[in-house]
Formats: sequence, structure tokens, C-alpha cells
Amino acid sequence: MVDPTRLDRLVRGVARQVRRRRLEFYGLKGAFYGAVAAVVPLLAKGLVGPAAAAVAVALVALGAAAGALFGLALATPRADVARVADRALGLEDRVATAFEWAARPDRTPLVDLLVADAIAHVERLASAQAVRRVLPGEARLLPLPLLVILVLAVAPAVRLPVNRLPDFAAHSDVEGSPDRTGKLESREQTLAKPDALKAGPLSERDLERASASLVSAGDRPALFKDTALGGQRPDFNSFLKKGDERLKLLEQMDALPDLRSDFTQSEYKMMLEQTKALTAEGLRPDQVPPQKVRELLEEMEQMGRKQTPEAAQTAAQGLRALDRGDQVKALDAMNRSLNTLRRAEEERKGALNLSGGKQGETGRRSSDSGDSKEPGNPEQEDPGGSKGLEPGKGPSDHPQGEATPRLEAKPRDSSLEGDPRSGKKDSIETNTYGRAARVPSRLPVGSAFEQYQRMMEEAIAREQVPRDYQPQVKDYFRALSEK
Amino acid sequence: MAQDARVQEFVKSFQSLRSEVQKIIVGHDDVILSVLVGLFAGGHVLLEGAPGLGKTLLVRTLAEGLELSFSRIQFTPDLMPADIVGTNIIVEDTSGRKRFEFQQGPIFGHILLADEINRATPKTQSALLEGMQEGSVTVGGATRPLPAPFFVLATQNPIEMEGTYPLPEAQLDRFIFKARVRYPAIEELNAIIERTTRPREVEVRRVMTGPAVLRLRELVREVPIVSHVRDMVSLIVMTTHPGFEHAPEVTRRFVRYGSSPRGAQAMVLGAKVLALSQGRYNVSAEDIRAMAAPALRHRIILNFEGEAEGIDSDTIVARAVESAERLAVREKEVFLR
Repeated sequence: MVDPTRLDRLVRGVARQVRRRRLEFYGLKGAFYGAVAAVVPLLAKGLVGPAAAAVAVALVALGAAAGALFGLALATPRADVARVADRALGLEDRVATAFEWAARPDRTPLVDLLVADAIAHVERLASAQAVRRVLPGEARLLPLPLLVILVLAVAPAVRLPVNRLPDFAAHSDVEGSPDRTGKLESREQTLAKPDALKAGPLSERDLERASASLVSAGDRPALFKDTALGGQRPDFNSFLKKGDERLKLLEQMDALPDLRSDFTQSEYKMMLEQTKALTAEGLRPDQVPPQKVRELLEEMEQMGRKQTPEAAQTAAQGLRALDRGDQVKALDAMNRSLNTLRRAEEERKGALNLSGGKQGETGRRSSDSGDSKEPGNPEQEDPGGSKGLEPGKGPSDHPQGEATPRLEAKPRDSSLEGDPRSGKKDSIETNTYGRAARVPSRLPVGSAFEQYQRMMEEAIAREQVPRDYQPQVKDYFRALSEK
Repeated sequence: MAQDARVQEFVKSFQSLRSEVQKIIVGHDDVILSVLVGLFAGGHVLLEGAPGLGKTLLVRTLAEGLELSFSRIQFTPDLMPADIVGTNIIVEDTSGRKRFEFQQGPIFGHILLADEINRATPKTQSALLEGMQEGSVTVGGATRPLPAPFFVLATQNPIEMEGTYPLPEAQLDRFIFKARVRYPAIEELNAIIERTTRPREVEVRRVMTGPAVLRLRELVREVPIVSHVRDMVSLIVMTTHPGFEHAPEVTRRFVRYGSSPRGAQAMVLGAKVLALSQGRYNVSAEDIRAMAAPALRHRIILNFEGEAEGIDSDTIVARAVESAERLAVREKEVFLR
């Protein structure tokens, strides 16, 4: 067996390099955080005193030392180091394989050759740097706290705000007047003088106090004399009356405006408004600016991606149609996408029990008899509603087009031709006698349908069904479930 | 050292067989490499390419370079299993007694060229594929072993798909590699014209015998592979599965089923042959990268969207390799990546 000492030496050398790089890396990291911490004692230099600079330097050094120690304490598994050496020195996994297989009991005869080969390759190598230097992100930012430290160390101490009461004792010491009554008397004399404000230095508080004393209740009309309120008298009765009305309004919970129904709160309604603005100008489909149609379709696709994939697909179809120059189809797709978004919105609101939701809608329709569309209600004036829209012609009762006519055929086409044979004919009786066994059907239609529907949904989720065909597949199953 | 001599024999045989094939075949270095690696790894190779790119010539040349029997089957829709494996026929001996005698089919050869394998019916294809997997065929209740080494090179044409029976995924899985024969570059085309439109002067030497191939196949399996490279192989295979949590986006979107474990075996065996062919005694990550596409491209089944979008399975494999390499070092510290 070949002695793998040289390989061992190589791996140890690379491990040393790893540790050195770690020392740099984590040392710089630690120095950065130490420097950030060192700003604090320098800011509080006034409190800490001349020791602040020393504390700051100590914190930086401590951070760097802690980082370096952490780096040194990290483990360096030999297998990983061997892999790093292989990769860095272009040894094609020789060293790592030799290390691992040399210790295995199921080693093959080729392993000895491998170890020898790896040693030969390692000997040919000059002492190369196997581990590259990596600097942490903090290293780039390190000059910043160091600069701050330097500036703070040179600059005079920052005056910190002191939240405490004025020291009257000290003040009285300065003035040197131990008699408190005499001080109060002299203050009264100062206030009694009319030109006292002019004579002494004015503080902001003094000015505020003065203006407050000037604007008394009687002076308010003078203050508002140049505004519309100047001529009005206070009307307390009307205030009370309005207050009553507001209270009544608050009692009518149903009449309270639903902030969520604000069309700016609903992306669908924003979309609807934009679509209406686009189509309300009486333009033919080919006259509608394609750029606007594209913008709307892209918005719908984005919105559909978040809420309703079906709407996104339809909008994508529209975009493709627009790319082909087929604006009529693009508008049609836009309307269909809008319909889907509307349905999703209704379902969402229905689930939240909000007005405009599917349940609320159903309730309202059941309470109203017949067509109860209110003019002016933007929710019910949806141009892409359940009736569909024919481009340039307005709403259509047949959104899916007219039904394809059936092929003409006679019922007798399927019957046999020729005359029946006369005479007695042999026949086999196919009637069965006795009661049928009362067993449940092997394949209940209802569950079979659900099973297939689930399979369909899974297939769509797994994207086995192409995106363009997904609506058709869904429509097919929806039609079946309605039956 | 005996082992060293074996390795040197392998290197020499591999290089000389390669150079013999390259005497005739211009370009297609990656295809030649895949075929030779498949031969020494003990698998069978599927060659896919348009007509006239030299697939059949490559196989014939390889057979000429080996002292092995060669048979060729042109697959057609009316080809029957008995046409491949052989059948029992009635023969009359000198005494006038009649008896059944087994007439061997072309499958009883060392190197078998299954030309346009997708033109035969699945029944006929399966007769061949059973032989490939088991190394024996059963006719009339008797199991007959196929000669060793048994190496099948099947070709298929990807453009004339009408009237063909594409190989099912389970049967594709039995080919260790799938090599794509691409159209030659202009310099290669010039060389092909030069070489093929004048009297053939080049003779292909026989450089290896059947027992030598078998011996070298055994040596291949002794090549060690380090655990992190083996882990990378497993990760590559796993990242071809759309259900794997770290699968790349392209896999999740376009793949229906990923590679089977046979894909991992094929990659490792191929990498071992590649390492030995370069005189190396261990498998490196680079060998695995080189073998990933030929070993996995036919084992990845695209979904409908992938087919419709025309996604190349080589792209999926490339992404899988990238993801696997990232995943392998994801947990490691910055200096140990």
C-alpha cells in the first residue's frame, strides 16, 4: 500500500488555508459590529469622560477578536477540505477519492493505483493557494463606522438632552439672595411695568402666553373677519338637527356605505371602468386603439394570475389574438376575461358575505320578481355580463353564437333494407325469469362523475392539459354537472 | 503492477478502437464516445438522427474494429419476432426421420445493428428488447443464451414519424445511452465528401477481441467513486422529477416523469469508463457532467406542455445538473463550497 502521508500533508495545508481565510472573514465581520458598538460610548463621551476613546478602541478590537475566534472554532472536515483541494488545484477528485477509499474495507485493487496517482499529481503541484479570499459584505462598510469613530473621538462631547427640573438651589446661589419673599416681590414689580416685555429678552413661551391672552372670546369675529365664516352666527339648532340626522343614519346599518365596494378598492371594477371607457365611445372593434386593448389585457392577465388563472388564460388568448392582428377576437377575449373576473369577485364577496357577492345577489334576485336591473348601477350594467357582448352591436343573448345546425338525416337511414322473410323463424328466447338481485349498482353514476371531475382538476393542476384547452375542458364538465 | 497493466490495456484499446472508427467516421466525436462508453459499460446504445448522417456506417465500422460477429436487422412493419430470435424448423436426417431444429435468428450475434427500430411493431421490438435485458431468448419453451459480449446499437429516425411505433418509455430505459447524431459542420461535411467519393483506401484494423471486451468491462466496475460525486448523481436524478422539492422550474413545468434509477447507474458506469479511458483511476464530477445528457435524455418524459413547447430534454438535464451542483454545496460553509 502506498503511504498517503503526502496527501495528508496537502490536506492539512489546505485546511490551514481555510482557517486563515476564516480568520480574516469572521474577524472583519466582528470588527464591523465592534465598530458599530464603539460609536455608542463616543456619543456618550460627555458621560463616560476621557475613557470613551479607549472603550471604543477596545470594542473594535474585541469584535475582531471574537469574530476571528469564531472562525477558528469552526470545524474543517477532511473530506470537505480534500474536495476543496481537488477543485482548486484541478485534481479531478483524486485526493478526496483516495482519502475516502483508502480507509474503506471494500477497497478495490485500483485504489492503490489511485493513491499513488494522487500523490504523483500532488508532488507535481507547486505550493498553490487553494482557498481564495472571500470578504464579507461588512468589510466594505467597515470604513464608515471607523470614520464616525474618528470624528467623534476628535470632536467635542455631544450635549445630551437632560430631562430634569431646573436647579433652583443653584440659581439662588448664583443670585446670592437667600430671601425668597424679596425675590417674589421683585418679580411682581417687573410684571407690573408696561414695557417689561420690551425690556427683557423674550422667550417663545412668553410670546404664546401673550397671544393667548389677546385672543379672547369676543375677539374671534375679528379673527375670522376676512373669511366666509366672519358673517355667520353660531347656529346651534341646526347643529343639533344635523346631529340627529347623522344618528339616524348610523342606525340604518344597511344604508351605510360599504367602503370595500368603492370601485377603486376593487381591481375588477377598475378594470370594468377602463373597459367601459374604451368601448363606450361607440367605436367599432377595429377602431379601438390596439395599444389600449393590449394594456388592458396585460393588466387582466396580471390580475388573473393573482386571483383567477382562468381569466389570465383568457387574457393571454386575447394578447395572442392581438399579436396576430385579430382585434375582434382580442376584444372578445377581454370581455370573457372580465366575465371571469366578475364571477371570481362575486364568489369572493359571497364568501365574505359582502354586498355584491353571489349569495347577496341571489337573495336580491329572489326578492325581486323578474328583471330587476336598476339603471345606473355599475354592477348591473356590466357590458361583459352573462348575456355576452357582440363587438360593435352591444349585448347579445347568444354569447356562444348560434347553435350549429344538425346534419339532415332520416330516421330510416339506419334501418335494414329489404323485405322481411316469410315463414316460421327460429328464435332464442332472451327473457329472464325471477327477481333481480337487490344489489347496489357497481358504478354509481354520481360518484363516477365526481371521480372524473377530480381527475380533470388534477390533470389541469399538473398542467397535462394545454393551457388553451383548459377552459373548454372545464366548460365541458360544468355542462355535465348542470345536467 | 498487474492492475496498472490492465488499466494501460484499457486505455490503449479504447484509444485504438476510437481511432479506427474515426478513420471512417468524420466528426461525431461525442457519438463515437457514447458508443464506445456504452460498449465498455455493458449496455446498449440508441442512436437517433436524420437519415444519411452515418449512423449505420458508425456501427459497421465499430464492428469491423472488433473481432466479433456482426448482424444487422432492418426493422420494418412486417418484421416478426421469429425473424429476430429464430424459429424451430423441421429437418430430415439421413435416416429419413424428421425432427425440429432451432434455426438461430440474427439476434445471436455479438454486435447487433437494429436499424430504424421504431419501424417495427411493438411485438417485434419487445422480442429484441427482452434479449437485450435478459441476455437470453426463449423460443419454443427453451431458453437460449445470447453470446457475450452482446451489444445492441439501435437507430431511429426522428423526422419520419408516420407509420412508426415509437419505443415505449419502459423499453427506452433499457438503453444505457441515447446519442444524438447531429448534422455535420461545414468542415466535417467537406471531409466527408473528400473521404467518401474516392476509392476507399482506409482499412479498419481489428483491435480487440470479445474476451478482451469482457475483461475490460470487469475492470470498469472496480473504479472507485467518491461519496460527494455519488451524491451529486443522486441529486441529478432526483432533480429530473417534478415532484422533488428542489426541482428546477423547467422540470416542474415541463416534465411528467423523471429518470429512473437506471439513469443513475448509467451515469456512474459511463463516468467510470470515461475516467479509465483517460487513464484516471477515479470518477470525477466532470465525468458525471459529461455523461448526464446521454444517460438521462431518453429517460425524461415530457408532459403535454413540454411537447407542445418543443422543450429539449437536454435542457432539462442541463438544468438538473446545475441545480444538483448548487444543492450539493448549499449547506456548506463559504470556504468549503
